[in-house]
Amino acid sequence: MTMTAISDAATAIAAPAVTVRRQTNSGRIAMTLAIVALVAVAVMPWWASTGTIRMILELCCYIAVAQMWNLLAGYAGLVSVGQQAFMGAAGYALFVLAQTFGINPFLAVLLSLIVPAVLAVPLYFLLHRLDGPYFSIGTWVVAEVFRLVASNLPLVNSGAGMSLRVMSQYSAFERNVAMSLLCAFMLLVTLGGSYWLLRSRFGLALIAMRDNPVAAASQGVDVSRLRFLVYVAAAVGCGLAGAVYFMAQLRINPPSAFDPMWANVAIFIVMIGGIGSIEGVLIGSLIFFIADRWFGEYGATYFVVLGLMTLLVALYARTGIWGLLSRRFDAPWFPFRRFLVDPNR
Amino acid sequence: MQWFDALVQGILLGGMYAQYALGMALMFGVMRIVNISHGDLVILLSLIGISMATAWGLGPLAVLAILVPLGLFMGWLLQKAVLNKVVGSDPLPSLIATFGLSIALQNLMLQIWSANSRSLPGGGIESRSVDIGGIYIGLLPVIVLVVAIALTWGLDLMLKKTRFGRALRAAAADVEAAAMTGINPRAVYALATAVAVGILGFAAVFQSLRSTVAPADGAAQLIYAFEAVIIGGMGSVWGAFIGSMVLGISQGIGFRIDPGFGVLAGHLVFLIVLATRPQGLFGKA
Amino acid sequence: MTAVLSTHGLVARYGDFQALYGVDVELHAGEAVALIGANGAGKSTFLRAVMGLLPVGRDMVRLDGEPVGGTSADRMVKRGVAIVPEGRRLFTGMSVEDNLKVAVDQAARLGAKGGWSIERLHRLFPILKEKAKTPVQSLSGGQQQMVAIGRALLCQPRVLLCDEISLGLAPKVIREIYAALPEIRGAGTAMILVEQDVGLAKEATDRLYCMLEGRVTLSGRSAEVTREAIGEAYFGAGHAVV
Repeated sequence: MTMTAISDAATAIAAPAVTVRRQTNSGRIAMTLAIVALVAVAVMPWWASTGTIRMILELCCYIAVAQMWNLLAGYAGLVSVGQQAFMGAAGYALFVLAQTFGINPFLAVLLSLIVPAVLAVPLYFLLHRLDGPYFSIGTWVVAEVFRLVASNLPLVNSGAGMSLRVMSQYSAFERNVAMSLLCAFMLLVTLGGSYWLLRSRFGLALIAMRDNPVAAASQGVDVSRLRFLVYVAAAVGCGLAGAVYFMAQLRINPPSAFDPMWANVAIFIVMIGGIGSIEGVLIGSLIFFIADRWFGEYGATYFVVLGLMTLLVALYARTGIWGLLSRRFDAPWFPFRRFLVDPNR
Repeated sequence: MQWFDALVQGILLGGMYAQYALGMALMFGVMRIVNISHGDLVILLSLIGISMATAWGLGPLAVLAILVPLGLFMGWLLQKAVLNKVVGSDPLPSLIATFGLSIALQNLMLQIWSANSRSLPGGGIESRSVDIGGIYIGLLPVIVLVVAIALTWGLDLMLKKTRFGRALRAAAADVEAAAMTGINPRAVYALATAVAVGILGFAAVFQSLRSTVAPADGAAQLIYAFEAVIIGGMGSVWGAFIGSMVLGISQGIGFRIDPGFGVLAGHLVFLIVLATRPQGLFGKA
Repeated sequence: MTAVLSTHGLVARYGDFQALYGVDVELHAGEAVALIGANGAGKSTFLRAVMGLLPVGRDMVRLDGEPVGGTSADRMVKRGVAIVPEGRRLFTGMSVEDNLKVAVDQAARLGAKGGWSIERLHRLFPILKEKAKTPVQSLSGGQQQMVAIGRALLCQPRVLLCDEISLGLAPKVIREIYAALPEIRGAGTAMILVEQDVGLAKEATDRLYCMLEGRVTLSGRSAEVTREAIGEAYFGAGHAVV
């Protein structure tokens, strides 16, 4: 074969016209359902009782916190057992702004997010030098420090806690509308935000970091900066969940504000459902919610089972339910992979 | 005199924290695993000890003689049944597994023993004092300190001089090369965890003598062990001891300043060390 | 005569990547066999597979005819196989003496009997006695290599696997180390030497194998194999390697 023959052959083949496809059928269905669900949550006052609204709001808070934990542990490799620090911090900020300073409660929810964001920065620099499991315990220590400080801080009424009495100026219906809207907003920001993040150019970097931080760094991903950003984002997300939750509770005190229960539930939800996927969070939340309704009355025994299940999943089924499912069926609800599609085939 | 009391109290706390921290430092040094249920295991041993003492009228020494072997067995079983399956470069599975175990244990203890606080009847040892150089110091703090020093010294000696200690250090340095030299990593790990939890047997007795014990206390003990190890610096048995003493004395002084401030004082010292000298007082930079 | 160590169609993978495509090698008692080949040929993989550091089929590796493929590394040591691994892999933070003692401990525990002792090693490599208390990471490359060899010998092996012991060392140091090999052979230990330096390999061994891309491309007596034959087998010219 001569040189000219090769170059002739090369120019004779034209590059195929391919397109990049992101969406899948399963994704379209899921997206439709998600929008329907989101709207349903936003209009809860028109179809649900106050009790049901509270229940759904609590479930949404679990979903939000679990997704934040998922983002931290599943993508950034940061296993936190202290996200309740940010929940309580935002919750208290809300109460102080709305009750003590008389700011409109709903505006106060948004403003309260500044607190976890600001706190997350020095905390990250303090903690990130700690090795894996020590980082985790460090986050727990931080939550404990917050709790102890709050117990002794006159600004937040120390151990006695605070009540959100300003809410009484609104009617029950108005409060329900606000809670529902905030709930929908929270889901949009946490779940929707995560999905948007995964589909953006950050998404590729996140997934690369999840799969192999060293390889990702060698490809130019600024892993440490990305981890830091994820940590701050997760702090704000958890703060939002905290503000929403405690606004609905109308009361906050140090033990409830910084309750380790949130960490326990988030870990259970994500590990059972499937770490590193939004689908997993939804599946895990549903399972937890049902289990909580049916078995919560059994108290301690119920938690023994939860704990054992978490243990067993970590030993034998690390990818959780969604992990097992997605190995058999490729039908993501929140697709973000890119497919090359040749229209001629 | 008040400050001296605070110091003595701090030494008692520090001596106890050392007994938590030694096991944690050992396990992390060798396997890079932190057992989140470490604190709950102390509480479990304490509660078992208290129940036995109440049921059979045993004194603290007899309880100690039972709890230490029990701790050795529990640690060995923990490694064989759970931790050997999650040793490896990925820290997540061991964290989650021991976390789940911690939740399960706490609630199991709650179910069996209820939330009531208990303590070990010590036959008066908690209130006895001993005359040292003209000053009266509580007997229990002295005993706890002596035991802590003895355990640290013993552990250090074991690591440096015995066959098992060398095998542990080799496995910690390079587990594959250790296997190539004839070491069975799984067996070595099981023994390491056994030792770590066996030491907790001592801590269990002292904790239930000096104060009350309740099923939910495990979390706090875990945090103290962790803070002690970080303050002292990783990779050093004596570092864990010194870190524990620093933490204990900080708490003791904090309690003296204000009863609500004790634990927080310890946290603050920990955070300061973390901010200024993250490798710990004795760790290598 | 049954080979002390033999591999039969040895296949090995790293995840999806196949590194060995059916390797047949034999080692007889008292022999020294060289394994040469370019980087990536699969030589180190071969040694790791034999040592049980990679999962392989049971029958693919035989010791005295008995299938031992896939046995864990520490059990292979019990069976009398020791390895001087690529990169030395000493226990950093521990002294020279402690590194050697680990091997002595395990040999005692496993009931392995043999003529190697720390004193004998001191005679073979005097520098080890001088540096006994020094942490191994402060030693030079050649000294570390001596510790690594010593550590493997103290396992009292019948079969010694040496993975690139000359790598990164100055020629004088290499000569010093290779000068010790005859005494090791004389003690009754059969050896497989993975070497990049073909000349060294030929001098120090009875037979050699050449590998390329996971297969054996040449085998023969070290003294008789020609440079041309090695060249072809090493680089693959003239071989259809699929």
